[in-house]
Amino acid sequence: MKTLHLEPLTRVEGHGRVELVLEGGELLEARVALLEAPRLFEGLLLGRSFAEVPALVCRICAICSSVHRVTAAAALEDALGVEVPAAAWRVRDLLLVGGHIESHALHLFCLVLPDLAGVPSVLELLREDHPAARGGLALKALGNRIQEVAGGRAIHPVNVEVGGVLRLPERSVLEGLRDDLAAWEARLPSVLEPFGDPAGYPPSSPVVGVGLCVKASAEVLLRGETLALADGREVPVEGYHGLLSEQPSSYSNAKRAGEVLLTGALARQGREGLADSWPGGIHANNAAQTLELAWALERARRLVDALLDADPAAPLAGAVRPGAGVGTAAIEAPRGLLIHHYAIDDLGRVAVADIVTPTAVNQGAMEGQLLADLKGVDDEEELRARAERIVRAYDPCISCAVHVLNVGGCKPGG
Amino acid sequence: MSRLRLGYQRFTSCCGCQLTLLNCEADLAAFDAAAEVVVFPMASSRPDDGGRLDVVLVEGSVSRPEELSALLQLRRRSEVLAAVGACALTGGVNSLAGTDRAALCEGVYGETAAEKTTFPPQSLSRFVRVDIELAGCPPERGELLRTVGALARGGLPALAEYPVCMECRCRENLCLLLEKGQPCLGAVTRAGCAALCPSFGVPCEGCRGEVAEANRAEQYRLLLEVGLPEGEVAARMKRFTGEEP
Repeated sequence: MKTLHLEPLTRVEGHGRVELVLEGGELLEARVALLEAPRLFEGLLLGRSFAEVPALVCRICAICSSVHRVTAAAALEDALGVEVPAAAWRVRDLLLVGGHIESHALHLFCLVLPDLAGVPSVLELLREDHPAARGGLALKALGNRIQEVAGGRAIHPVNVEVGGVLRLPERSVLEGLRDDLAAWEARLPSVLEPFGDPAGYPPSSPVVGVGLCVKASAEVLLRGETLALADGREVPVEGYHGLLSEQPSSYSNAKRAGEVLLTGALARQGREGLADSWPGGIHANNAAQTLELAWALERARRLVDALLDADPAAPLAGAVRPGAGVGTAAIEAPRGLLIHHYAIDDLGRVAVADIVTPTAVNQGAMEGQLLADLKGVDDEEELRARAERIVRAYDPCISCAVHVLNVGGCKPGG
Repeated sequence: MSRLRLGYQRFTSCCGCQLTLLNCEADLAAFDAAAEVVVFPMASSRPDDGGRLDVVLVEGSVSRPEELSALLQLRRRSEVLAAVGACALTGGVNSLAGTDRAALCEGVYGETAAEKTTFPPQSLSRFVRVDIELAGCPPERGELLRTVGALARGGLPALAEYPVCMECRCRENLCLLLEKGQPCLGAVTRAGCAALCPSFGVPCEGCRGEVAEANRAEQYRLLLEVGLPEGEVAARMKRFTGEEP
């Protein structure tokens, strides 16, 4: 028996390790250990005012700071029964879409593209003047610009609080953004071109795990009231705890779902009817991300138009009355389902906090995919290289996956 | 200009400081010309050659024994060590979880808690000499680039030693605290962000940490006057300053 340790995993967000257990050259077991230091976020929120939560929890993860901030605010608004005005949701939706663009572009161009080109990092691609790398970084900058316009900052945005948003972006800034978005429409397909060619990816088995995403209404595609599974099951977001039945694990610092589930771009885009021109297995997630980038740019353009047409005097926040309550919100982060759940006491202090991140949900699928794809591969170097690419394909965000639940005897969702 | 041998390492944090470096999209080629990336796991798969470094940028607080030994090794390897971001400078929001880690861990991880080695998150300067402090949660893109550029030319970056208020006044913003009654912390917060948040129209949350000789008592009084309850004033003022002085 021999165990290969892949550590540190590179070009992923956070500290993690893959362990491949081999016997006689045969792969017996694959473990994905998320080794980020425990930051105990759910514990540090306890007893603090609900008003402090959005600014604190967006620090769980920089790459998803926008969606963490919005999801936290939405869950607290659910708990406190706050009516959030439509204008505020337009600004928040623009922020979420900007986060999607930035995160997908970061993943595709800085983390995946070096694999397709066979170099260690995007810096080598820039030195070679790789056309897609330059275009991809410009696309990433556009995502950051959208987040700055809607949220005030690209990382840890400041414009979202419980109740709504603090201000509308300035008209001249929105007009500039509208022009940039229009200019990107023609440019996008050529920039995304490298990710559609299946020949650039390793061979792969079918995708492991039941697809899970927020069941979205026609208008809003990143948030909703119901969780939908690829096998047809539907669960209201409040029922997430029963669906996921998370358990701690001895070798990883993240909790894991009881069932093998897959969340992220591929789950959102559906796994049926994928064209032959897509990469196989989980690598198709990269092609799904390119589809979402096209959707996100179009959606951003419509949101900017709506904000330009909006009444500048319309309210941007609903009345917030601190009081006891329990609330849950689920929003699609770039890499999959994100859930925030809070219980507030009658003085407005956090009594229970539970945060479920997409990478924690995907752990079981990652391990299953590693086993399925790498069975029969006996060359150690190839095992290492392909294992790292499989994990990377999920766009794992390990820093945010470290679950830090302290419920003091209360069961969230109950 | 000689090309720096540069490392980027991250401990207990959210990745936001290294993401800020990757957010210098249009300047990454110039960064690459100024520095040879020897170790930077999030951005590069190049194996670390273990050799001397001219500069290491360190993000995050130290909360685990393995992080501490890695920090000590980096300090020995590198000419210059720059602490990047609130967590590296003060412990950051990580340190708000308090000191009773064992109880929190048990609440989180149940019977597997004993296997998680963790101690209260602490600043880098608790353990090693820090040559450059880049404040912020996250820091500013310009500060990161100017620092690498200055080091590549054999110098040190010039960093602001006055409060955010000063930059806010230079930008001719209305004062959010005095004129709009909002809980802005610009008066006690270290500058260098060009008053980013107040210029957008939202109060400074103090993410760059406290400026030298901050008048905390007056800031506290003004926040009470805005109408915040005492507990919340204290919580806001402590959010990014980490360990108590």
